This record gives sequence, C-alpha cells and structure tokens, in this order.
Amino acid sequence: MEENPKNSVSPISRKKFLKICGSVAAGAAIVSVSGVAAKRMLQKEGNCLWQIDPAKCTFCGRCATDCVLTVSAVKCIHANKVCGYCDLCGGYYRTNVKDLNTAAENLMCPTGAIFRKYVEDPYFEYTIDESLCNGCGKCAKGCNSFGNGSLYLQVKQEMCKNCNECKISKVCPSNAIQRVPVEKSYMLKDG
Amino acid sequence: MKKIFPLLLLSATVQAQNRFPKPDFESGYNYPDFNYFVPNETLWNVIDVVLLVIMMSIVAYAVVYRRKRAPVFIVSIISILYFGFYRSGCVCSIGAIQNVALALTDSSYSMPVFVFLVFILPIIFTFFFGRVFCAGVCPFGALQELVNVRNFRLSKALSSVLSIIPWIYLIFALLYAVTRSSFIICRFDPFIGIFRMGGDFGVIAFGGLLLLASVFTGRPFCRFLCPYGALLSLFSHVSLKHLTITPNCINCDLCRNACPVDAIRPPYENKVKESRMAGVKRLFAYLVFLPLMGLAGALFLRLASDSLSEANKEVRLHELVMQNETNPQDIQPVDVEVFFAQGGTIEELSSRVVEIRKQFTVYSTVAGALMGLIIGITLINLSLKRTRKSYEIDNAACINCGRCFNYCPQNQLTNKKE
Repeated sequence: MEENPKNSVSPISRKKFLKICGSVAAGAAIVSVSGVAAKRMLQKEGNCLWQIDPAKCTFCGRCATDCVLTVSAVKCIHANKVCGYCDLCGGYYRTNVKDLNTAAENLMCPTGAIFRKYVEDPYFEYTIDESLCNGCGKCAKGCNSFGNGSLYLQVKQEMCKNCNECKISKVCPSNAIQRVPVEKSYMLKDG
Repeated sequence: MKKIFPLLLLSATVQAQNRFPKPDFESGYNYPDFNYFVPNETLWNVIDVVLLVIMMSIVAYAVVYRRKRAPVFIVSIISILYFGFYRSGCVCSIGAIQNVALALTDSSYSMPVFVFLVFILPIIFTFFFGRVFCAGVCPFGALQELVNVRNFRLSKALSSVLSIIPWIYLIFALLYAVTRSSFIICRFDPFIGIFRMGGDFGVIAFGGLLLLASVFTGRPFCRFLCPYGALLSLFSHVSLKHLTITPNCINCDLCRNACPVDAIRPPYENKVKESRMAGVKRLFAYLVFLPLMGLAGALFLRLASDSLSEANKEVRLHELVMQNETNPQDIQPVDVEVFFAQGGTIEELSSRVVEIRKQFTVYSTVAGALMGLIIGITLINLSLKRTRKSYEIDNAACINCGRCFNYCPQNQLTNKKE
C-alpha cells in the first residue's frame, strides 16, 4: 500500500482536536450560564437572611424542634410598645390558673425564660431571657390568643447559621419563614 | 388630610390586634430599648469570595507552575479553620449548584450575587488550571485529605461503579431543586454537622464513617459522592492548562502509588489488534446502545415521577388534606388546620399539585435520560482500551493535591537544583 507521507501527517491529532472542541464548549457554557444568571440577578436583588413573618406565624412549635442547631436559633421577642402590660398575661400564665403567682405550675414558658417586673398598678413589664428561650412559641400563642400579640417569634441572626435551605422552612405549616434582605433582617412589630 | 389618612389606616391594622389599650404610665416609666444584632453579611461575603480567589490562585500557582505541595497543605488547614469551623459551611460551592439551577429555571427565585460567585469561580479556575478548588480550598476535601494516612486502592470495577453515584446525586439534586422541593445536597451534607459540632445524628454518623474511610483510602466523599466534583471533572477534562507528569519521567511508578484518587495511569500497551471493520461495528453498537440506555432511564424515572414528587411540600400537604377529607379526625394535623385557616381551598391546592406533578413528569424524564446516558458512557469507557506510552494524568479525576510531587525522584532533583 502506497501512501503519500504528506497526507498521512495530520496538522493536529484527533485527541487534541477533540480537546479544543471540548474547551470551547466548556468556555461557552461558563459564559452563557453567567450571562443568564447575571440577567436574573440584575432584575431582582437576592435576599440573604432567613426571618419569620410574624403575620403568618402560627406558633406550631416546630421552630423549637426542627432547627439544625440543638437549641433553635428562633427565639421569642417582645414588642414592649405593643404590650398591654397586663397582670393576667396570656403568654406568662397558663390558661385557668388559680393564683397569679410565679409558681412553676402556673407559668406558660416550659423553660422559665419569661420574667416580669412590677411597674405600677396594674402594670407589669415582661422580659425574655434569650439564653433560656427555646423558640417553642407557647407564650406567643397565648399572647396572640388572649392579648395584643406582643410576644412573637423571630430568627436571632447572631445564632442563625444561615443555612442554604432553612430546615424549619421545610416543615413550617404556614410558610412563614422566608428570605429577607440584610437591611430588613428582623420583622419587628414595634418597628 | 394627606397625613391623617395613612395614620388612620395604620391604626386600623394595629387595633385589630390590640385587645388591651396601651397603658398610661404615671410613674414615668420608659419603654426599654432593644437593639437586635444584624450580622454584617455583605462584608463576610466579600471576605469569603476574596479568600476563595486567593486560595485557588495559590494552589494553581503552587501545583501547576511550581510542583510544590506545601502551599496546598497550608491552604487546606486555613480552609478547614475558616470555611469549615468558623463560617460553618453555608453557602458552599457544592450546595450553590441548587440555587443556580433554581435561579436559571425559575425567574421568581432571587439568588444573591455572592452565591453565584461561589458557584462559578471554582468552575472558572477549573477551566483554566484543573480542579484547584478540590485540592484544599474546599473544606470537605481538605478535611479528608488531612486525615488520610494509608491509601488502599479500590479495584477498578468497584471504583467505576461507585463513581456513577456523584452523577446520580447531582441529577437528583437538580431535579429536586428546580421543582422547589428540597435542597438534598444541603440536607445530606455529611461534614457540615462536624464543622458545626451538632445537627442530625444520622448525617453526622455518616460523615464520621466517611472520615474513617478516608483514613484508609483517598477522599471517598470527593470520588464517590460529591456532585460538584462530578461537575468540575467535566471542566477539568478540557482545562486549558493542567498539571502534568514530571518531564523526563523515569517510569518508576512511585507517583501512581501516592495518588489518593487513582488519577495517574500507568503505561499500557493494547495488544488487542482490531480490524477497521470490527472497529466500525463496535462504534455503531455504541451508537445504538447509548440512546437505548437513555430511553430506558427516561422511561424508568418517568414511571417513578409520582413517587418522586412526594418530596414536595405541597404534594405532601395535598395528601394530608385529602386523607383528612376522606377520614375526618377530631384533631386535624397542624398543617391541615393552618391550610384551611389561611383560606386555602382544596380546588386551588389540587390545581397547584397537578401543576407540580406535571413539572415532575417532565423533569424526571429528562433526569432519567441523563442517568441512562451517564451509565452508558461509563460502561463504554470501561470497554475502551487505549495504548499509553508513558504515565499520564487523568485530568478529570486529578484533584491537584500534589501528593505525587514528593514521591517523584525527578521532581526532587529539580527542586534541589533550585
């Protein structure tokens, strides 16, 4: 078999040629994905932090059990400017308590995280010790059922690990957990 | 008038909640002031991205241009301490696949620029220099690298079968991400629990087992689980520049022994001589086999799409609601109660679920086809035998850890001369 040596020498080996084709395809993929993503990102600013919308929250108690942290990053916070400063507080006392005293069997909070201080007759100031709060939302449920709704649940941003997908948001029955922009990292009731 | 109107509106919404009036304090009581801590997220994100770029550049320079491992080792330690323990992992490049996939398919999803950068920067670096991200910038890879003592080699059959898993994982992750069901990469992340020192027990135990396995064999997570590694291997395969075997190699086989991920291939002489006709026939057989695999996969997952859709929250809610309709309980499940309390109707939910199920049928068909193709390509690759005259690096598998450098006598010589 006679062959012209000039024809048999290819200017580029097959492997190299395929690799160049692959590189071009890969480069094109990077550029096109970046292009589409850039277009999307310019249309809408991304939200970075997780927060609970108090208007949607139903105090189901899953925040306490479903956070990836052993003690949930969700805590109860108190809007003093909304609070009625009542003596018989639906968030502080259980329903149908006989005596309004600080005995444990009368209190709503399972960890004893709510404290109250006498201000003047008939008003009491309520404060929450966040290191004790586990985010179960029992007090918030009581306050929203019988009071002004000044106790409510929020994600404490210094504790939140800011998971890519909040585990609580996947079990929240009312879809109250949502992404918020950094400048609105708390949805406070007293602004 | 203009000022009063919004005020009236505001008081109306507030009064809906205010069962008790605001107290009139006479003792001069002042409302306490609360300041809630807001993390400086933007600053941290900028630091993350800058560190990511610097660390990948260091690895690229050290490995591709200098053939040195020491900088990679230092980068690994920094990565474990900073990205791993300090920043505790989120958002990572592996998980960002899902955000990007969702952002590309669903225009209502908003993705922060930072997440996209974390996703695309390692890919760009891989396109230029090979998988420098995997070398030690990724805290998961770095963690496995640091505990790796012995390097028991897995058989080729086993490692080929296992290396299909990352692709399947990637495809499922994309399927569940684009249908807004779940971010499974984040949910089953084996090492995040170790970095956070807490979390789901099962997943942490799995992470512990993986770490134990990586003492005896190189990087089991990177090779047999990591979906981002699978994605990067595509770009590494055609990277513009990549680490090579030391020039003037003396065929000593030491580097192959040192490689934790089996990325160095020994010289091989293919003794099977095939006639041209047989070769053409084989090529045709492949071309028939591959689409058949794709079709089989597509059919398989299409049939399974209804059970796959149960991972979606809305589909599960729909099931709960329907159960409650057919067999009403005295105490409704919380989800059902909240659904009706928020004014949801069964018709509306059903129509949404039908929509989701449709999405699942389409996407799982595509996913199945891709899976079939990937299994087919793996099988074809196993049946291909190519002659190699010298040691070669498998660019797709090489993770640029640089372990081979210290074992290469030629490399030692050049280092000494310097």
